[in-house]
Amino acid sequence: METNTRIILICSGKGGVGKTTLTANLGIALARQGVCTAVLDADFGLRNLDLLLGLENRIVYTAQEVLEETCRLDQALVKHKQEPNLSLMPAGNPRMLDWLKPKDMQRIVDMLSEKFDYVLIDCPAGVEDGFRNAVAASKEAIVVTNPEVSAVRDADRVIGLLNTHGVKPVQLVLNRVRPKMIASQEMLSVDDVTDILALPLLGLVIEDEQVIVSTNRGEPLTLTGGNSPAARCYSNIARRLQGEEIPLIDPSKQGSGVRDKLKRLMQTKIF
Amino acid sequence: MGSINSGENITTIKLPLTRSSDWRISLPGKLNKVNSEGVLVDCQDWQLGCTELKQLRSYIEQAGLKLISIRSNIPETIVSAAALGHQSTLVLQKSVLVENSSPKSEEAKSNDSPKLLFHEGTLRSGEHLSAEGDVLLLGDVNPGATISAGGNVMIWGRLRGTAQAGKLGDKKAKIIALELRPVQLRIANAIARGPEEKPAQGLTEEALLESGKIIIQPARVNPFMFDRT
Repeated sequence: METNTRIILICSGKGGVGKTTLTANLGIALARQGVCTAVLDADFGLRNLDLLLGLENRIVYTAQEVLEETCRLDQALVKHKQEPNLSLMPAGNPRMLDWLKPKDMQRIVDMLSEKFDYVLIDCPAGVEDGFRNAVAASKEAIVVTNPEVSAVRDADRVIGLLNTHGVKPVQLVLNRVRPKMIASQEMLSVDDVTDILALPLLGLVIEDEQVIVSTNRGEPLTLTGGNSPAARCYSNIARRLQGEEIPLIDPSKQGSGVRDKLKRLMQTKIF
Repeated sequence: MGSINSGENITTIKLPLTRSSDWRISLPGKLNKVNSEGVLVDCQDWQLGCTELKQLRSYIEQAGLKLISIRSNIPETIVSAAALGHQSTLVLQKSVLVENSSPKSEEAKSNDSPKLLFHEGTLRSGEHLSAEGDVLLLGDVNPGATISAGGNVMIWGRLRGTAQAGKLGDKKAKIIALELRPVQLRIANAIARGPEEKPAQGLTEEALLESGKIIIQPARVNPFMFDRT
């Protein structure tokens, strides 16, 4: 079944670089732009996309039950409270790690692509079975990486694997960028990373403490704090994904504007 | 050595091999026997610079003849000849003719030349490209990737991973890259860590084995890697 649904794998190789956070925020941002979006948590061994979206307590069924035909697809889909355009499909139960095969993944994604315009697949870390399952069902991919040597190395490995699986196009999101550290040359610069990975840059995400707060609350940044730096970055990525042309932010100019300075001054606790 | 083959208007003169005698002694005598207008000089294994080639040319002109073309199996001689504006031809060991007049000369190779594996695309972390003979890569070798060959490793791109040349023990094998910043280099049985400091931008370098140690130097003007005289 060929549809125009964009099936995008969000992967990184290394753990903890922000795959799940990007999936959640991108899902919300796309839904807010009126696109019917499904997020599929393929990282079911250590699943936490539901936590980030604040939907943990609403999960009843998973993709496993759908494939076993003990429930219907729309019973397993969890609609987001504030953004009805977004639905979460939990892939499986953490206790049952071995049941899923690449063709099962393919089937579940085929079902989702009949109902949604975008399917975002949150890929598990690593390049083993979990990755292979997730990549089997994907058409295109976003590789998330941080400006640090080990994350870039793992991303490079993953890009190689994506190429051999014929996933195209592959785009890059550079997460947790600290403009100050780049300016003082303590961190890999954007150019250093794109130089090695040689991928089109879909977006940069500035390091932002608000991300941690929102994760703990289960409310993605794009849903609430519309004006924090990372939230702007995420929604720009979503718009670029839709084909809009938005210039990339320049990390060297971040936080040097009058408004940013004033804002920082206001936040400084004097007493 | 030193046979004279008369063509229609061009005579081919072969210089004696380096080890047999000096060409300066035998050349005037040979030139006297030439009855055509132009001569083609086969310099064999003589490495001639511009000065020596000018000297060669003056001998020919003294005899009232014209130097038409230079032939040699030493790339340096060909480069000097080209610098003096002569038509020149490189003769590879296994008599493979490569005309230096065409810009893509190194690609004009016959089946007699050593096996060359050609690969286009960047080698990413975890990937490994291996060849029996020489390998030519059009792309980068990223950190974590490995490229290895029984012969030479040529990288038209940046080498930032590990490279191994002469993996079967060929000590004459070389590693050439447009930007040589390897993690590790191996030639035959020698192993070396990559240099700490970055090389200058746009400096093509080669690594080779010299008295058991791997050294890195700016690459010579020698696109004809297959020639190992």
